[in-house]
Amino acid sequence: MAEEISEQKVLDDKAVVEEKKQYMTFRSCDEVYGVSLENVSEIIGFQQYTEVPETEDYIKGLINLRGKIIPVIDVRIRFGKEPLSYNDRTSVIVIQVKGTVLGLIVDGIEGVVEFGDSEVAPPPSVSSLAKQAQKFVFGIGKSDGEVKLLLDPDKLVNDNDAEDEEKDEDEEE
Amino acid sequence: MADDMITEGMLDMFIFETEQGLETLENICLESRDAGEFDDDHVNEIFRIMHTIKGASAVMMYQNIATLAHKLEDVFYYIRESKPENIPHAELLDYIFEVSDFVNAELEKIKEGAESDGVADDLIEQLDKYLKKIQGGKGAAKKEEQAAAPAHAPEEEKPHFYIAPVASDSSHFYSIFITYSPDTDMANIKAYIAINALKGIAEDILFMPSDIISNPDSAAVVLEFGFKIAIQTTEDADRIMELINTSSGIEQVEINECTGQEFLEFCTEAESKAPASTAGEIVLGPIEQPTIRTDAKKPEAITLTEEEEKGVEAVKEAQKEKAEKPAPKKKKPAKKAETQSFISVNIKKMDLLMDLIGELVIAQAVVLQNPDLKVPGLDLSNFKKAAAQLTKISSELQEAIMAMRMMPLKNTFQKMNRIVYDTSKKLGKDIELEVIGEDTEVDKNIIEHISDPLMHLIRNSVDHGIESNEKRASIGKLEKGKIVLEAKNEGGQVWISVSDNGKGLKRDEILAKAQANGLLGNRSERDFTDKEVYNFITLPGFSTKKQVTEYSGRGVGMDVVVKNIQEVGGVLDIDSEEGRGSTMTMKIPLTLAIIDGIIFSVAGTNFVSATNTVTEFIRVDEEQLIIEPDGEEYVMIRDICYPLIRLNEFYHIAGGKEKISDGIVIILSYEDRKVAVFADGLAGEQEIVVKPIPSYIKKVPGISGCTQLGDGSISLILDIGGLVDKK
Repeated sequence: MAEEISEQKVLDDKAVVEEKKQYMTFRSCDEVYGVSLENVSEIIGFQQYTEVPETEDYIKGLINLRGKIIPVIDVRIRFGKEPLSYNDRTSVIVIQVKGTVLGLIVDGIEGVVEFGDSEVAPPPSVSSLAKQAQKFVFGIGKSDGEVKLLLDPDKLVNDNDAEDEEKDEDEEE
Repeated sequence: MADDMITEGMLDMFIFETEQGLETLENICLESRDAGEFDDDHVNEIFRIMHTIKGASAVMMYQNIATLAHKLEDVFYYIRESKPENIPHAELLDYIFEVSDFVNAELEKIKEGAESDGVADDLIEQLDKYLKKIQGGKGAAKKEEQAAAPAHAPEEEKPHFYIAPVASDSSHFYSIFITYSPDTDMANIKAYIAINALKGIAEDILFMPSDIISNPDSAAVVLEFGFKIAIQTTEDADRIMELINTSSGIEQVEINECTGQEFLEFCTEAESKAPASTAGEIVLGPIEQPTIRTDAKKPEAITLTEEEEKGVEAVKEAQKEKAEKPAPKKKKPAKKAETQSFISVNIKKMDLLMDLIGELVIAQAVVLQNPDLKVPGLDLSNFKKAAAQLTKISSELQEAIMAMRMMPLKNTFQKMNRIVYDTSKKLGKDIELEVIGEDTEVDKNIIEHISDPLMHLIRNSVDHGIESNEKRASIGKLEKGKIVLEAKNEGGQVWISVSDNGKGLKRDEILAKAQANGLLGNRSERDFTDKEVYNFITLPGFSTKKQVTEYSGRGVGMDVVVKNIQEVGGVLDIDSEEGRGSTMTMKIPLTLAIIDGIIFSVAGTNFVSATNTVTEFIRVDEEQLIIEPDGEEYVMIRDICYPLIRLNEFYHIAGGKEKISDGIVIILSYEDRKVAVFADGLAGEQEIVVKPIPSYIKKVPGISGCTQLGDGSISLILDIGGLVDKK
């Protein structure tokens, strides 16, 4: 349902030349996140990964994407939520930022939404968000009466430097 | 300088050719070092090289290089023509090296986009003195007009396409008029080829139109009005004709001898950029001078490779040819004198091909080991045949691409020759370098990585390996200081060793230093094997050398050497005998990309180790397991004790086998050390393509990369060195 609407929107907006950015939205836990479509190279179904020992728990391992070996992370764990067992709806969004490729394991794909820069509000300082997710969210957009938390793909890909502050953070909703 | 007229391609070509010339030059010098003189071939070769460099750099407006090259050319011109005896050879070699270094340094600047601003006046002066000296020895012999010519100004006021004038009495002036057949492509380039050919003999040369390189429209002018050259040279008209005639598309060449006065008139005319003149104005020959006219047999020939045969006959008349249409501006490669049997390929393309072949190897494994084939009762005989054929072709393909990337170590070794020469000279040591196996071939990637470490090892040997001449004499070492640089293939590896007959490593000194640095720990000094002791020198900041010299002793070096070697998966082996010399051996894998691997699994995770690191795999009983009080485990196999690493514990993988008799023990060797690794079971053997772990995942100890297995899953490549170190 949501997909149909957003697709319709895409078509409509193509006619009008507007400076709007498209975001791929996905569901993880009870939140809907969005990541700029420019950075999404493809969406694949969940596939078995190879674990890499001695890595952070959110790094699930490596998958083989047509001969290319890419790391996958579980967005739930990354954002400090409870992990969920993977099912049919589980998908992997492959994002690419400046040559670095990363797979995001998400609960499910929502669709594509568009926001102009003016429609994106800065993230609230106090929110229902888990603290760990907060540092990846650069803005909030609203569409269809739902809040979409827009992620900064740059930070997702280069977050290895900020590992210190994770773990043992409260995880309330 | 004149950047606007110099295209990127020209610059690249210039740098490439000059570097090659210099390389040959140095090799000749080093070859002749022991002979004590250049033979005729060498003299000619050096003359030719300097000539080429001079010409090319003059074109590129690097006057400093051109002037210097010209000076050295003068020296060799004299040597070639007058064949003086008793030339101080060592001195000459030094000058040549200095010239080569200067030009190399300038090239480096040019490559980085900087101005070539080096001034070689001192060197030119020295060369001048040297030339005078050898001339003095010979006395006033023969004609020395070229050599005796006064040095020309190092900096040209106005960069022009001519070689700085060198006035001499016996030179002649000629005016040359060339017409090209009307359908010649890029006549300006053809004209330029003629100029370039003439530069070799010219003391001064001018031409019209003068903007043939910078202005593509000049092609039309050349076609319509012909191309005029005024040249001052000691050669005669026949020689000029011979040089000009190498270019294609020439319809007619007319050469007139003229006077210096007329030559100067031409200069002024050319410089004032008089409107394109017709032939009549420029054929200056007022007296009945012999005029040579050439008729091209195939004036319409425009193909670049075609060598034209020209009939030369003396005819007095000048002819002019008018072209109706301007030459098309389509670019064509410059004429090549001969077809090359080599092509240079961008290394990126080679890498891509390599990657693709890697993918192919994996894809092949995916097909051939496909689970669909495992249906019972399937008749696979035809499939097997086809599969065998496919395997054969792909392994041949793999070998071919490997061979393509293989390069002999020759060039790298030759550079070392120079380093030994320079360093030993400066240190006043008499050292001989023997090179063995320079034809050994190594992957291009690896060559790039070993050049620096090798240089370092050589310098070490020269500087502190081999004693000074006096020291050697005093301790009764009669043989000459000698360094042997050897390369050989040894079981899938290349061993490159640098051995010297110097003083060797001093175990005591190293131990004392290690003690001072607190590296020995609790072990007593006697516990350390020689190898372990020698390995201390590869630690950062470790130098027993008290005096820092220009070349070594700073304590940075050996650690960098080792790091460089490790980067390509190699190891450094140090062997030494005090008082007798030491040998450093770099053991490097032949190739990095595709290796044979043995796959073993631990609770669903696959690990791969290169087949040549696996000594054996064996099932071990509980009795063979030795557990120390601190929990360290060892396995005893045929009376040899190996430290045991349980991969499931090491990497905290849940669900692995615990009982030693249930799983399998793999003995892996790394350098001289061996470890036993415990895994659940063997999963197979496969050619694997080494891929790096994505950078997102931080470095995991003991894992050097990953690869894709036949079933499409991913396996981690064990790095035994890392595993052992962590342990």
